[in-house]
Amino acid sequence: MSSDFLHEPSVVEGRPSFADIDRQISAPLDQKPDYKYFIALGISSTMLLIGVFFIGITFYYGIGLWGNNNPVGWAFGIVNFVFWVGIGHAGTLISAILFLFRQKWRTGIARFAEGMTIFAVMTAGIFPLIHVGRPWLAGYLFPYPNQHEIWVNFTSPLLWDVFAVSTYFTVSFIFWYVGLIPDFATLRDRTTSKIKKIIYSIFSLGWRFSNRHWKNYEMVYLILAGFATPLVLSVHTIVSFDFAVSIMPGWHTTIFPPYFVAGAVFSGFAMVQNVLIFVRKIFNFEHIITVDTLEKMNKVILATGTMVGYAYAMEFFMAWYSGNQAESFVFLNRALGPYAWAYWIMVSCNVVFPQLFWFKKLRRSLPFMFVIGVLVNVGMWFERFVIIVTSLANDFLPSSWAYFKPTLTDFGILLGSFGLFFTLLLIFIRTMPVISIAEVKAAIHGSQPTHHDHERGEYNNE
Amino acid sequence: MTDKFTNFDEEKIVPQIQKTDEFSEQALEMPDLSKMSPINRRKFLALVGASTALAATACTDYRDKGKIISYNKKPEIITYGAANYYASTYRDGSAILIKTREGRPLGVVGNDIHPIAKGKASVQAHSAVLDLYDPERLKSPQKNGKKISWQKVDEEIVSQLASAKNSNTKTAIFCNEIHSPTFAKLLEEIKLAGGNVEIFPISLVSDKNREVSWRNCYGNTAVLAISWDKAKIIVAFEADILGHEGRPIEQIRGYANGRNVDDAKNFNRLYAIESTMSLTGTNADYRMKLNPLNSFEVLAAIYNELVEKVAPMGYSSIGNYSLDSVAKLYNLDRKVLNLLLNDLLNNPGRAIVYAGDALPFYTHNLVNLINQIIGAAELYDYSNSKVSFFEGNNPHRLKQIIKEMNEGKVGTAIVLDANPAYILADDFGFVSALKKVKTKIAFVEKESETSELCEYVLPVNHPFESWGDYQDRAGVVSLVQPVIEPLYDTRQIEAVLLSWLSGNPKAYSYDIYHDYLKKYWATNILPMLSAGDDSEKLWFACLHDGFAEIPAKAEIAKINVENSLLIPKLPNLENPPKGITVLLTNNYFLKDGRYANNGWLQEIPHPVTKAVWDNYAMIAPATADKLGLDYKDFNSDMIEVSIGNRKLKLPIIWQPGMQEDVIAIELGFGRKKAGTIGTDVGFNAVKLMTKNDDISPLILTNANIKKLNEKYKLFSTQEHHKLEDEFVKDFHRIRHIVQDGTLAQFVKNPGFIQQQREMTEKEIDEHSVNPPHDYGEVKWAMAIDLNKCVACSNCVASCNVENNVPVVGKEECGHGREMHWVRIDRYYSGTSEVPIVSSMPMLCQHCDMAPCENVCPVAATTHSIDGLNQMTYNRCVGTRYCANNCPYKVRRFNFFNFRNWVADGFYEQDSLELMHNPEVTVRSRGVMEKCTFCIQRLMEGRQEATKRGEKFLGVGLKTACQEACPADAIVFGNINDPNSEISKLAKHKLGYKVLEIIAVKPNITYLAKLRNINEEEAL
Repeated sequence: MSSDFLHEPSVVEGRPSFADIDRQISAPLDQKPDYKYFIALGISSTMLLIGVFFIGITFYYGIGLWGNNNPVGWAFGIVNFVFWVGIGHAGTLISAILFLFRQKWRTGIARFAEGMTIFAVMTAGIFPLIHVGRPWLAGYLFPYPNQHEIWVNFTSPLLWDVFAVSTYFTVSFIFWYVGLIPDFATLRDRTTSKIKKIIYSIFSLGWRFSNRHWKNYEMVYLILAGFATPLVLSVHTIVSFDFAVSIMPGWHTTIFPPYFVAGAVFSGFAMVQNVLIFVRKIFNFEHIITVDTLEKMNKVILATGTMVGYAYAMEFFMAWYSGNQAESFVFLNRALGPYAWAYWIMVSCNVVFPQLFWFKKLRRSLPFMFVIGVLVNVGMWFERFVIIVTSLANDFLPSSWAYFKPTLTDFGILLGSFGLFFTLLLIFIRTMPVISIAEVKAAIHGSQPTHHDHERGEYNNE
Repeated sequence: MTDKFTNFDEEKIVPQIQKTDEFSEQALEMPDLSKMSPINRRKFLALVGASTALAATACTDYRDKGKIISYNKKPEIITYGAANYYASTYRDGSAILIKTREGRPLGVVGNDIHPIAKGKASVQAHSAVLDLYDPERLKSPQKNGKKISWQKVDEEIVSQLASAKNSNTKTAIFCNEIHSPTFAKLLEEIKLAGGNVEIFPISLVSDKNREVSWRNCYGNTAVLAISWDKAKIIVAFEADILGHEGRPIEQIRGYANGRNVDDAKNFNRLYAIESTMSLTGTNADYRMKLNPLNSFEVLAAIYNELVEKVAPMGYSSIGNYSLDSVAKLYNLDRKVLNLLLNDLLNNPGRAIVYAGDALPFYTHNLVNLINQIIGAAELYDYSNSKVSFFEGNNPHRLKQIIKEMNEGKVGTAIVLDANPAYILADDFGFVSALKKVKTKIAFVEKESETSELCEYVLPVNHPFESWGDYQDRAGVVSLVQPVIEPLYDTRQIEAVLLSWLSGNPKAYSYDIYHDYLKKYWATNILPMLSAGDDSEKLWFACLHDGFAEIPAKAEIAKINVENSLLIPKLPNLENPPKGITVLLTNNYFLKDGRYANNGWLQEIPHPVTKAVWDNYAMIAPATADKLGLDYKDFNSDMIEVSIGNRKLKLPIIWQPGMQEDVIAIELGFGRKKAGTIGTDVGFNAVKLMTKNDDISPLILTNANIKKLNEKYKLFSTQEHHKLEDEFVKDFHRIRHIVQDGTLAQFVKNPGFIQQQREMTEKEIDEHSVNPPHDYGEVKWAMAIDLNKCVACSNCVASCNVENNVPVVGKEECGHGREMHWVRIDRYYSGTSEVPIVSSMPMLCQHCDMAPCENVCPVAATTHSIDGLNQMTYNRCVGTRYCANNCPYKVRRFNFFNFRNWVADGFYEQDSLELMHNPEVTVRSRGVMEKCTFCIQRLMEGRQEATKRGEKFLGVGLKTACQEACPADAIVFGNINDPNSEISKLAKHKLGYKVLEIIAVKPNITYLAKLRNINEEEAL
């Protein structure tokens, strides 16, 4: 490696030609998937079907099939919702915010992360719908004109959620699609199959790689990135309002918005990192999604994990400092009460283990970072569980306290949510380029004009 | 379209129109009928209509559910939508007004002019509609399990009775305790008619010991009622006077009368000396633990001290008991005993000692003696002595008849809606004896353990379908009148017996007993009333009022102390019983198990343990620890209680305040044949009883407890913590949920509660983000006086009926999904040995700044102009956000369609649909609900005011809970009306709001509980 710190090492290893990149990235789309793919798809769709079954019986009998009880009105449903929305944070953060900050290392992973965002938000979006008592009336949550002149309640954070999540999904989806247009054009030009050609032609919207197209494209992409950036922060801020705006001890906390955003980025990165470890191996993208890139992600995990740890500590401090007995009890109860097991899973997975990423060797070790990534996601799921369930279970009046016990249905639906997410992801990696072809080409060594020495800048044109 | 209309001038059009001659020759001619089809127009249309209807019905699965037809001639007394009230009496003696709508009974309220009920009814009476519409009521007579007609029954039985009379075999009639003078007369007639008939009234729990003792002391069994409201010092020995003994409604009212904070001078003081934690114990100012076996000695010590101090004529001390010795022996607080003694001495004529039903008669003797010394005779209500018709529960007679049944001397056994197979101790051998009787007839409302053994099973009317009367006090006879025709092919027992008595199988008519009753009243009761009036008129007046007050005056109670029976034979103290004492108690709601199939009653949380749908052994935590018994997370250890060869397996529950060597078990559970809801709920503690009880049927000694290697899911609506758990100790005080103080503190500084308030209204308004609501002239609010509330749960029962609250079943209660709109919260402080109990009713607080309202995304819960926090069920999608954000956790979510969920749709059956209050929406699944302050009643009041053209101020409107509260602890009304009681109570010196600090501005004011404990002591 160069000792010149001003010089940024290339995010793509080796010096692949444009054609190589085209070939490599579109390889999964050109070949027939092997049996391993079908096994994976089989597993994930089975999980999905299990989820569908449990959602089905929930629709038929009612929410009573879940473990929710009288003080604990929200449990797995909302835990899963917040968890998946959180997972959906990494994608747009990587593709939009890092784009604005000119972080080249994002190039290799942005498309995939964005895809995960879309699927995570889709998964998350199911939960608000199925957790209501009468899902067939969920349309009431949208402000539509009606003859009853009944309007939604704009003071309810749950309504803000509806807007925040749907806006976030829409913008993320458009952003993702716009980024895909040049790649669809590349695929259109490459493919020999007639049907594929038609499909790609439609989706590439007549892209001809013309200068004008590129110019407009870059501008749109920049604007959308600018547009998506505040949404990354806003969506989880608003999700956190569901809790922060309430009056329940343990929920009514001003630290929630930044804490939730940090947590979301934390878990999102962990999920992306986890999946990428497999993708780069299976599809031979090691030189595009490099260990350097993964290491950078781990640094983000370390940073956000530390922020989350700070938030945990600060919550305790504020609970004590407030002098409010109910408030301080909720936090003591988290650490020492009936849900202490969940609390300590959360703390160890989110605060303690990620601290090992201070060691460079561990940060760059694939198996190690995978394990940490999994732990982070377990920890973040439990974080939501701890916040939601423990606060409700032991609130103001001790007379109504009750312990929440999940049921089989709860677990079935949780499993189903993973099934849905991974099924969508598996379909994605076989139908669309998981790495942005156009952007990677632009990030290859020498593809951009540079102030540094030109020898390095030579670029391998065919 | 060839003739296009192109031009108005085209002449050709005009003639064309003219051409169609409406009145052509042909048209005017009479048609030739013979040539026409025989079907005329009307018939044709009728046929078309009929065939279409036929086709339509044939092709659908339409079921004819009967017709809904309006009255074509409206009965004068019925107005659509307006309830009619009819005075009647429930089988437990509750004088009630039955609310009917369009001929359907929908609920009850107490009869407000009745001298005993005074507008209040028992929990059982409130829940009676569920028994009336119980889909499992027996619907027609059965013989050996097969349907049979009444006519056939009458024929067969009349001939069998006749042959029995001739063959000189005995007929045994088993019935509940008889409280009806007319029915008693009928039974007398049956006895007189010959045929060797014997009558055996039986009951699971009775006050027989009290009666025996009364006879010893006063020479009669007319136990005098007590004017509880005049008592200043009440000492209850193992007596749950505020719970399940005697007439709780009356006792609670009397007690609460002495708990008026505005009359602090006359505040009463309640001492409870008991082994188990009863409602009375939870409310007591001083509570001491004592094994019931030792109550005699403690009473003797009190008696001796009194004899010494007062030195009444003729009284001599018993043994050498003294307060010092018993205090030491039984670990009683000497200071409290002293206080008790002084209170008894210093309040002549205003103090009373009361012994519980379970205590043996000699203890009652002692209590009567003490009462005589302290002048408690002044507290007796001489116009209300006890009336009983047939002596019941005589074990000697029962043993004798069972012997005769076994010997085959009894040819016929008739069981009148009683359940001897369940309530008689196993060693009576009733079941096997009954099998030897030739003709076995059971009158039942629903199948029971007894009816199962009987040949003829005859369905009886519910009290709401029956005529009758009721008297258990000399001064008043109540009437029972039907408010609905029998729902099924049932008859009332009295009518059937009357027809059989006549010997004519065709004698039965619907009115037969009605006529008999009227005749009885005309000759026996009405003449005692104002003499001049026409008897028919008087009868209708009594029927209207539901009762007749008859002059009665008992003699002043005076004990003949010389009576040798009085000075009790000292119980054998040389060989004190070892091991555990088992105290059997009556259940607050199920009573003798009769109400087992009533889901509402099964589901009201036990007032002390908060457990639902079960009984258990209440055990002191220390004893549980000693025996290695665990009760955690609703998972409790099973134990086997054995007394000799009688054994019972049941789970335990920790109960702070239990005497260490006593376990208490409730009766009325463990029915084996009680319908879908009631069968196999809990454990049958009758298994521990014996016919040869030496002390009392309810106190069993020398019990052994064995821990079983089994766990049992025992559910309660409140979590149990060890009281010593510092982590969660005294939260209700720390968080200002239940506030209390002492009477002395209040007298010294009446504003002490106000000084403790965390936030004033002004501060709240200053800190509020939202502007306050604008209210009109009406704003609803409630005040609950914790001094009066004894946690009896009548409000829960009444609310259930008024608001169509569903039963959710045991499992769902275990998931914390009970649906009660009002609940009674119970908190402990102190230690497991000496707990201090605080209870408070908790319901929707209808906050001004309701946290539930702003979080509902669809605006399904909103604020009304009159201060109500409203739920719009139609709009609710069920996000449960409101429930999460409710600091009082009073919102209830329909996790299922509970009516369908419980026991495979048990509560969705047709007959139960008749039960619902039509003014209240029946909620389905997925919807949030909560207390509405009985908005249907408020709207009705508003309508009435509008109709009369008056300004609506809400005067006189009552919520269901308020109406049912025997203590009148709940006051509801318009806080913006300066003349209303509530507007004064809301500003009361003892008033506080729960969780004031979160500034949601609740509209329920609680009056802090004052404990009348000694001045020097602090809480």
